[in-house]
Amino acid sequence: MKQLEVLDYLKLNGWQRFLYNLKCFFCGIPGWFVNLCKKIGRWVKKAGIAIWENLKDLYLTLVKGKWQTKVSFLIMGFGSLCYGQVLRGVLFLLFEIIFVLYMVFWGGSWLSLFGSLGKTPMQKDVYDEVLDQYVNIPGDDSFKIMLYGLLSIAFIIALVYTWRLQIKQCRINEEIMASGKKVKSTKDDMKSLLDNQYHKTLLALPVTGIMIFTVIPIIFMILVAFTNYNAVDADGYNNLFHWVGLKNFNELVNFESNIPGVKPFSVTFGEVLGWTLMWAVFATFTNYFLGMFVAMMINKKGIQFKKGFRTILVMTIAIPQFISLMYVSKMFASNGIINGALLNLGIINSPIHFFDDQANPNVARLMVILINVWIGIPYLMLIATGILMNIPADLYESAKIDGASGFQQFGKITLPYMLFVTGPYLLTSFTGNLNNFNVIFLLTGGAPVKTDASAVGGAVGDTDLLITWLFNMTTGVSGKYYLASVIGIMIFIVVAVLSLIVYNVLPSNKNEGDFS
Amino acid sequence: MATVKLTDVKKIYDNKVVAVHEFNLEIKDKEFVVFVGPSGCGKSTTLRMIAGLEDISEGTIEIDGKVVNDLQPRDRDIAMVFQNYALYPHLTVFENMAFPLRLRRFPVEVEGEPAEGEKEPVENKEGEEDSKEKKIQYVKLSQDEIYKRVTEAAEILGITEYLTRKPRALSGGQRQRVAIGRAMVRESKVFLMDEPLSNLDAKLRNQMRAEIIMLRQKIDSTFVYVTHDQTEAMTLGDRIVIMKDGFIQQVGTPNEVFEMPDNLFVAEFIGAPKMNIIHTELVNEGGKYSVVPYGTKIPVDGYKGELLASKNVESQQILLGVRPEHIVLTAKSNPAAIPCTIQVNEMMGSELHLHVVTDQGGEQLIVRVPTIDLTPAQRAAMVSGAKVFITFEGKVMHFFNKETEISLITDNENVPVATHKDETDDVVKEEQPAKKSLFAKFRKNKGE
Amino acid sequence: MTDTKKYLIEIETPDGALVSSEQHETVGKKYDVSVELPEGYVVAESGEVEAPSHAAPEYVEPMLEQKRQHMGIKAKRIISNTIIYIVLIAMSILWLVPFVCIVFESFRVESTWQVGYVIPKQWGFDNYINLFTKTDFPRWLLNTFIMGVAVAVLQTIIVLAMSYVLSRMRFRGRKGLMNFMLVLGMFPGFLTLILLYKLLSDLHMTGNNSIFGLILVYIGSSGMGYYISKGFFDTIPKSLDEAARVDGATRAQVMFKVILPLAKPIVIYTILMGFMAPWGDFVLAKYIAHNTSKGMNVAVGLQNLIASNATLSTNYTMFCAGGVVVAIPITILFMCLQKYYVEGVTGGAVKG
Repeated sequence: MKQLEVLDYLKLNGWQRFLYNLKCFFCGIPGWFVNLCKKIGRWVKKAGIAIWENLKDLYLTLVKGKWQTKVSFLIMGFGSLCYGQVLRGVLFLLFEIIFVLYMVFWGGSWLSLFGSLGKTPMQKDVYDEVLDQYVNIPGDDSFKIMLYGLLSIAFIIALVYTWRLQIKQCRINEEIMASGKKVKSTKDDMKSLLDNQYHKTLLALPVTGIMIFTVIPIIFMILVAFTNYNAVDADGYNNLFHWVGLKNFNELVNFESNIPGVKPFSVTFGEVLGWTLMWAVFATFTNYFLGMFVAMMINKKGIQFKKGFRTILVMTIAIPQFISLMYVSKMFASNGIINGALLNLGIINSPIHFFDDQANPNVARLMVILINVWIGIPYLMLIATGILMNIPADLYESAKIDGASGFQQFGKITLPYMLFVTGPYLLTSFTGNLNNFNVIFLLTGGAPVKTDASAVGGAVGDTDLLITWLFNMTTGVSGKYYLASVIGIMIFIVVAVLSLIVYNVLPSNKNEGDFS
Repeated sequence: MATVKLTDVKKIYDNKVVAVHEFNLEIKDKEFVVFVGPSGCGKSTTLRMIAGLEDISEGTIEIDGKVVNDLQPRDRDIAMVFQNYALYPHLTVFENMAFPLRLRRFPVEVEGEPAEGEKEPVENKEGEEDSKEKKIQYVKLSQDEIYKRVTEAAEILGITEYLTRKPRALSGGQRQRVAIGRAMVRESKVFLMDEPLSNLDAKLRNQMRAEIIMLRQKIDSTFVYVTHDQTEAMTLGDRIVIMKDGFIQQVGTPNEVFEMPDNLFVAEFIGAPKMNIIHTELVNEGGKYSVVPYGTKIPVDGYKGELLASKNVESQQILLGVRPEHIVLTAKSNPAAIPCTIQVNEMMGSELHLHVVTDQGGEQLIVRVPTIDLTPAQRAAMVSGAKVFITFEGKVMHFFNKETEISLITDNENVPVATHKDETDDVVKEEQPAKKSLFAKFRKNKGE
Repeated sequence: MTDTKKYLIEIETPDGALVSSEQHETVGKKYDVSVELPEGYVVAESGEVEAPSHAAPEYVEPMLEQKRQHMGIKAKRIISNTIIYIVLIAMSILWLVPFVCIVFESFRVESTWQVGYVIPKQWGFDNYINLFTKTDFPRWLLNTFIMGVAVAVLQTIIVLAMSYVLSRMRFRGRKGLMNFMLVLGMFPGFLTLILLYKLLSDLHMTGNNSIFGLILVYIGSSGMGYYISKGFFDTIPKSLDEAARVDGATRAQVMFKVILPLAKPIVIYTILMGFMAPWGDFVLAKYIAHNTSKGMNVAVGLQNLIASNATLSTNYTMFCAGGVVVAIPITILFMCLQKYYVEGVTGGAVKG
């Protein structure tokens, strides 16, 4: 599409500019994809070159290296030990020994079953002649096969990397010796870990934690999405499950229901996704703007007791959220204090169903959003106060001299400044709201329940978000882990795509330094 | 105490930007060298490479004859003063200055009577050469010794009364002194200063400049000083290194760079207001040279003419440089007078800065006229639109090649050759020789 | 034209030699300066030059209306301020009502079930006593407190290490690591529990022992929450590190002697957040505790009290009492450290 000259762009009015920007954004998408492909291509090429270089280097090291280095190809750490780097050598050797032991005794067998996830089912009520009773003979445990298979693969990758590393070090040591210098001693290694290698020391613990507690579980979860892993199978045992390929994802695009009166899974999923997005938009922006208004009201010149008002609001942040959420949830229950009071006063005759199973879905959703505003305003007020105070006063002064009214000052100075500064925060708060488990689960628990929802995913309510639905799927009687994984991947895709779009549209990333 | 030698030093950032090209310089012991240039010319990067705060992409840096490329900053025996002072806000002035003393071990000669500060356990540092006669041991300084050194430095800098204060309670000038003091107490071989005065206001800057000159006489160290201010460079430096776009333009004493700039950039950079550049022709009439700016023929006499003759420069189009203070006002009747019209007259007190437009050619020139040379009536007559006549002598002229912008009369000895070692460079050289005229042509000249 | 006498410039060098400027013919000889005046200028009798006269700019009378407007502004301000006061007071009440209600209900003796009024007819500590004697509430409190302390310590170490590295050091793979963590953060973290629960239950860290499992889960991935403290570290000038390194500090010394003492607000913020996390967490705790009462934290425990309609009628006021017991110390702690919290939150929002 045609790019406008800067001066032509200035001729457009606000609406035309908006359309123009929108058009630019969507027209930019193909180019963006092309760039992405090119980037991936470059990465692949780079990776290929790197592998080739490594292989070449390995070959040269093998051919030209000293005997110590050559032995290191088989016995890890041998070279280091020969050159006096005791610590490194011992660590390398230990790693290799552990690896070999693990692979021989456990890893190998897990890995061999990884392709099928196990074949032998559990045999129930088999007559055991020795014990003279009926027992269950355990079969293959697919879960463990998958998990330890995965760990074995990770272990192998780690081994290859370490093996390559120690060979490289042998070579470097040879070079250092050849130039007549001393190789680094264990003491030097320890010292450098506190100095120029200090980042490794600091990163060791956090990265290990992330690997074990996030990366491996997430890979596992992605794999589960391609199996039929259920908490309970027909017989009440689930030790065995299988790879099913893309079958689970097919459910998402299958729009035909086989049971009359019940929507197919894809439609139910679409409904929940729609509400999740709607919720995230409302929850984020209502809080954002109302919080900002409250902050502006409190900070307005001439208002007394600023600190008092602020303290009252801040105090509500301090009280753990679950207490306020659960209490408010009970307040609005059909037999709660609000209905009780209204009945006592004779305003209503029968309790209003705010968000139980008899409630109107729209009322329930509105209530959830309103209560979320109640929860969120103090927090936003706090943030907005800090930022509002940082807006340079001379901006307002010059605006006043230029004849701007209060509303114009807000629209032309306060709002752009706030949006600019809090852009990244808005994004994180949006994605946070997509996965806002606490508010929905503690407030409504998803109610009112959808009556026509697909049975595949278990019960789901009108206020259920994807994340609470997912929770129910994995904790209920029939833990549908495979479906939960699919939904988890979908949540990831939604969050990633939205983040990407918002990130590209955000003013903070485009016009850096506008306000600085 | 120490020399600093940079050989073919090059800095390439991750994004393939070359910040410093082959940088060759030998800084003599106790010399005060100033790196000067516009922002982004690589002067700070070079200094930071000497300090060890930036990796050296290519080449070697030696301090006191020892290659320091792979040494950490703390092992290089350097002290550094930063532009924004970099004082530790949570420590008092005393602790700030004592900080470097507490962290490191100092060499002490032990033979016969033990040196001061030997009360603490003495430890040998590995890998250090021990000579036979004098045994050098590395020890931590005692509190007494630290106190002595800090108070001495504070005395010199006049900040004794602030020793117990935190940095935020100090003014800019005082903070700068503390920063200098922190560097001083170390008594290190090389003293690096990265634009130390640029955060101060003009008045304080002049004062601190004088103090640095005095300080320099008290500290026997090699100084490397980075600034973008040519006045600072001229007043402080024994030698000035003028840089642009990562290349050294000229290395020389303040006098050399002012009198005999090697190229147009140096000529324009040194001196304020900047040098007037006139497109004109240099005429060689049998060894007698003259220039014809704006139709007025001015003979090149004096030693500049002799220099041209000794180089046997032929008639050609040149860029003629004349500093504003070297242009004089003259009478209309003077055959060498160039008629001009005044645009703006800036009265500076001791002198007038006249922005004039030449009648022929319509180009803008700046003329500095000492006020005392004019009668009151003349001064009053210098209004916008008034016509004046200017001229200049041969000895104040600077001649530059029109294409390469290199001086026609200097020997260009100091100018390091700017050679790219990139693979693609040869191709570029062939295809677009005139693009980066300065260096492309320059290389050619040198090659021939 | 007067011929002034010309002097040579002479400089005496330290060794006594006299350096004089070479005499040469000058083009100027010494001419007088001539100036030609532009049109309109005249030389006055005094010898001064007079500029051509111009008309003075017209003086425009300020509008009288301004005064009237001023009065309007004052009245307007009073009205708008009154409106704001009303809104703010209404808001304060709205925000405080639930908390006042919960306190009142916790002291109610006559009915453990929800009633249609706020102020109890019969006051007493029955609910508190029941809470501590008839339920596992003391255990929940203890669990949560232990977890709070453990998480505060361990998470602070991890988060500070991570954010310090990413903010103040440059190493290969830094950008890649940050992007990687950004992408990881887009997966719903809760899903990892499917696997972690199995693993932890194999290690007997769920159910009754779930505090150990929970501590691991809380701190395991806490390195990914580095944004706010990194934003703070980014504001400390880099030249401090450099000065310290030149002064002889190793990178570890730079961290402990220079940067961390300056980062006190963010250290306290991180500790505060670490301590408060287990008090407010629900979903992880519920999953790991898996309906084992002794392994719950306060949130899950209290929710469990009123989870079903059957228990709701007997436990409701006990739940209120529990809420009060939990809220009071946390609120006090929070208000004491509010300053650090505000700094952390606003800094984090701005930095992203």
